Amino acid sequence: MNELKIEDLTCYRGENLVLKDLNTKLKSGETLVIRGKNGSGKTTLLRVLSNFIKSYNGKILFNDQNIIEDANYRYFFNFVCQKNSLKDNLSVKNNLKLWEIIYQKNISYSKLLEDFNMSHLVERDVASLSDGQKKCISLLRLNFTESKIWFLDEPFVFLDEENSQILIQKIKNFNTNNGIVIITSNINLQNTFTNEIKI
Amino acid sequence: MLALLKRDLYLALYSSSSFFYTSSFFVLVLIILPFLFGTNNVQLQVLFKGIIWIGLSLSILLTMERIFNADYEDGNLDIIIQRYPSLETIIISKYITHWVVYCLPLFIILPILSFLFYVSLDNFFLIFLNLLFGSFGMVFIVTFVSALTLGAKRTIFLKAIIVIPLFVPFLIFGTNLESWPILLALSMMSFVLSMYVSAYGLRLYVE
Repeated sequence: MNELKIEDLTCYRGENLVLKDLNTKLKSGETLVIRGKNGSGKTTLLRVLSNFIKSYNGKILFNDQNIIEDANYRYFFNFVCQKNSLKDNLSVKNNLKLWEIIYQKNISYSKLLEDFNMSHLVERDVASLSDGQKKCISLLRLNFTESKIWFLDEPFVFLDEENSQILIQKIKNFNTNNGIVIITSNINLQNTFTNEIKI
Repeated sequence: MLALLKRDLYLALYSSSSFFYTSSFFVLVLIILPFLFGTNNVQLQVLFKGIIWIGLSLSILLTMERIFNADYEDGNLDIIIQRYPSLETIIISKYITHWVVYCLPLFIILPILSFLFYVSLDNFFLIFLNLLFGSFGMVFIVTFVSALTLGAKRTIFLKAIIVIPLFVPFLIFGTNLESWPILLALSMMSFVLSMYVSAYGLRLYVE
């Protein structure tokens, strides 16, 4: 059983107070949706949780260990940011190959692309894809690690109804396998995920 | 670090046109200048010592956007920093890749260019050494400027204004055929400075 605990988290960006006294706790199999206006600090929170931003007050504990002090924490999470992490001038296949090298994991590309019914795009240049297709391919990064937590920054942006449902199902499957998911979203997901905080 | 190096080299291979363009640019700079200054044999030999440095400087300067900025723009830098938290490892990998992809091709075509400019074998060897040791330092310099200006958009002119004065010592000593030890020392100093400042620049970005 894994547990991610945020205790009295306060974070400034420059002179602006972005996160104030945030407290929450997530256990294996749970999904938390973070909602808020543009600029309210949703992405900052995910970057704090991903250990990119280290200057904050309060504590973030993963299995009772402070994430700043835990050298292995980086292997426990996968962060899909708003940028697609795709090279526009390369084909989908070559982009997947680059991820394969970074994550040091071999995956069958066609099987991977089947997740979002996109096997036919494997040879296409990323530049020729729609924003929604790029988003789907960027979400395939989740399959490259055996992580325990997913941080998803606005994952539903650009996705059509069908692909949104596929993603929701992926998140639920991950929850079933004891994964923790934190999603930032402007869309109301309360019908799908009940655990929600507003910042 | 090997995986990161492999990834960067694959990326360069997949966008193989980029190093072809750099080499072509280098050759064109070298070919154009004799039209301005004459094609006398002796004059060409003197000219060659200088213009290869201009060619190398411009080639390195024009490709500096690809060191960190490309990965920053598309979000890959986040993945790299998450997987390889040692910023020094990332920086060293970028040095090696940038040198191999954008400088090594220039050294491969250098013998042909030297022949076209009537450079003697003894002089060629010294020019080669100068250029080799100088190119390391120049890559170290563009790397730290690239890291320090990460996220700043359309700043190639600003970067050029910062980089060109830092290239001046390399150009001054580079044209003197006996000065490869000085260039080696300059490169070593640049390495120390570059490691520190690049790590600082990346840390600023991450935070």
